[in-house]
Amino acid sequence: MAQTTSEETGAEAFGHLVRRFRNFVDETDREALAVVGVMSAALLAAFAGFLLVSSYTVAPFAVFLVAAGYGWLRHQELTARLLTLTTTVSTILILILIIAFIFVEAVPVVFYESATVFGIEIPGLRMFIQPEWDAVSSPIRYSMVPMIHGTVMVTLVATAVAAPLGVAAALFLSEIAPRTVRELVKPGVEILAGIPSIVYGFIGFTVLSPWASDQFDILGQGTYLFVGVVVGLMALPTVVSVAEDALNSVPESMKSGSLAVGTTDWQTMTSITLPAAFSGVSAAVLLGVGRAIGETMAATVMLRGVPKLTDPLYNVFYGQETLTSLIARNYGEADGLQMDALFVAGVILFITVLVISVGSQYVEWRMRKKFGGDV
Amino acid sequence: MCVGYTATLGTHPSVRAWRRIDPYYKPLLSDTDSIQLMTRESDRLADRVSRRKFLIASGAVGTAGLAGCSGQSDSGGDAETEAAADESTPTEQSSQDTASSESGSSGPSMLTAEGSSTVYPIANKGSSYWNSNAPPDDGEYWGSNSEEGNTVPGWSELGEPDMRLADYFASLYGFEPTGQQATPPFPTSIGLSHSGTGCQSVVDGLVDIGNSSGPITAELGWSESKAEEEVVDHVLGRDGQPVVVSSDIYNNGVQQLTGEQVRKIYQDEITNWSEVGGPDQEIYVIGRAEGSGTDTAFRLNMLGSADAPMPGVDTRFGQNQQVAQAVSQNEGAIAYMALAFTSDTVLPIGIEFEGTLYEPDKDAENTIFDSAYPLNRDLHQYTKITEDTPNGTDMREAAFMNMFLTDFGQQVFVEGNNYIPLPTADIESEKAKLPEQV
Repeated sequence: MAQTTSEETGAEAFGHLVRRFRNFVDETDREALAVVGVMSAALLAAFAGFLLVSSYTVAPFAVFLVAAGYGWLRHQELTARLLTLTTTVSTILILILIIAFIFVEAVPVVFYESATVFGIEIPGLRMFIQPEWDAVSSPIRYSMVPMIHGTVMVTLVATAVAAPLGVAAALFLSEIAPRTVRELVKPGVEILAGIPSIVYGFIGFTVLSPWASDQFDILGQGTYLFVGVVVGLMALPTVVSVAEDALNSVPESMKSGSLAVGTTDWQTMTSITLPAAFSGVSAAVLLGVGRAIGETMAATVMLRGVPKLTDPLYNVFYGQETLTSLIARNYGEADGLQMDALFVAGVILFITVLVISVGSQYVEWRMRKKFGGDV
Repeated sequence: MCVGYTATLGTHPSVRAWRRIDPYYKPLLSDTDSIQLMTRESDRLADRVSRRKFLIASGAVGTAGLAGCSGQSDSGGDAETEAAADESTPTEQSSQDTASSESGSSGPSMLTAEGSSTVYPIANKGSSYWNSNAPPDDGEYWGSNSEEGNTVPGWSELGEPDMRLADYFASLYGFEPTGQQATPPFPTSIGLSHSGTGCQSVVDGLVDIGNSSGPITAELGWSESKAEEEVVDHVLGRDGQPVVVSSDIYNNGVQQLTGEQVRKIYQDEITNWSEVGGPDQEIYVIGRAEGSGTDTAFRLNMLGSADAPMPGVDTRFGQNQQVAQAVSQNEGAIAYMALAFTSDTVLPIGIEFEGTLYEPDKDAENTIFDSAYPLNRDLHQYTKITEDTPNGTDMREAAFMNMFLTDFGQQVFVEGNNYIPLPTADIESEKAKLPEQV
């Protein structure tokens, strides 16, 4: 409950904690203390029961609800404190449990795909050093390389579509367009973000893919290029909307100051507004990239579903499989190691998204440090 | 089916995938559960009411399901109770014999079936249609409705009878029509378990019909001669995956392939249609979701083993609709999928196996609808041969099963569930197994 700052040593922190707890107990009404105690104990028991998959879990949870109801009527402040704490803790707990589950489920295939390097056996290495995937015929291999390749290809194409278009559109809406245009277009763009991805995927599957197949003389249908384009278009509204907000939040004083020393509108835009809003604009692009990586439905419908590398590697005219589409396509049929391999794909996605999110926070932090102020 | 394939294939890795071929594989209750449940129900019912009273009292089909169960466990029970209750509860066999004469007073007993989840969709849909006993002006489920412009498939072939659905099919075997909605001459009930369970239940006399996706010889480990003595094998449809090509290939000379050519195409040894007599066009090879039931069945029957490699596959799809769509909008495509999704642009081709050409034509000598076609397997309904029914099939069973052997039944129940209808010759031979129509 108590927060320990990093300067404190363990013993000091513990002493501090005990003191705070003692003070809390001394200051609080006995009955309130009992109610809170019962709530905490019941909740812990319920959690333990949940972990053990016990059918009696409902009993301690019911006790918790009754205690919380009583506490709410008699000792509202203390109960509210405990309840808000509970919701925070449970959010974090749920997240931790999900992560732990994904990792634990992935373990068997990681050990199956061990590879020996310099006499040391490294679990999971073979998933990344060879590109063969075959879940049925021997040798059975679960390489993640083709899917990582596919995800990178789709993300690159999508970023190439969404970033320039999105930032340019945001710049126009924020700096150039008349007020009425902005007020009409921006909500329109935001509505675009609400179109379900399967609609894009369906159009891609029935219209874009066959067309591309004819035009580029591709054998069959399914290309990283057009999946990337579709996903990029899907990410566009997010990029436009977030980047426009960032550009809009650049203080008018900065722009006016620039104009006052004699720059043109365009010079102000490129040398003042854009750099000042850079953190927000890059956050917008990263959000778009995050969407591209996580996009599932359109990719599943449009891609070929045969995990292998394209030849040559930069060939975007054949689209095999991405991490997300692998999961979406196979979860119904997979079992055993194949199912575990899908969880590995999930782990890779999780780590990627984590890195991107931490990366965007870092960019933002650095920009804030550089420019300071309220940007 | 599952039990059967486990038995025949042993520890083969394909077993787990074969199980997945069944869309309804997970049973609602385990076998023992359902049997216990039935017995318990029957004990309780027997205490309270006689079976006949109960049957009369319960007009609704749903409640009559309980009566059917109790009836079976009665007839399977000990002789004393049976004799004592003889007046009010005729046994299965006696009711079957006197079905037509008795139908006026209390009606023949419920027809029961259980077994394979692969056969279940066909049998259950048939049973649902039967039990609702739709009028001939319904149009959607039975007969023809000129106002809405609906006519069921195969209606004119039946001679457009002016009777309700179950009334018509039952009357062919001498049952009195009821003329009422949701009141067929006798109700039917289809249970869901496994092929082996279905076979065992029909042999034990627990149900009238045992549904099975594998032959009973494999399911119960019987010899052919024993199977012939004990049961009659009725085939009502087939489960299989015809090979299809896109129309540009079909119209340019490739209307049949040998099994070996198909294998080579899927294993990347043939990559151009010109190698098999078609146009100079690369082959776009479409497969099914890796490790799915259809994928495994194809590997097993076409490529030689359940874990045969398929390096030639360019695209994999999970659903028949996707396969059909991809074949129709791409040139040079080959795929395998349920027959119901074929069209003008997705055409089934003939396949030659070991010198026999199986043609995509129902009236040909050897057809891709045949049991011998390697990508097919029969869907069976077994009935038991008893002293009272030396031919193995009583009138109720015949009336119900005959429904599936019409154009109407084949199109609505078999093709409607994406299974393969029987070719003309097989329909004739299946009809010959049923007793004479009245």
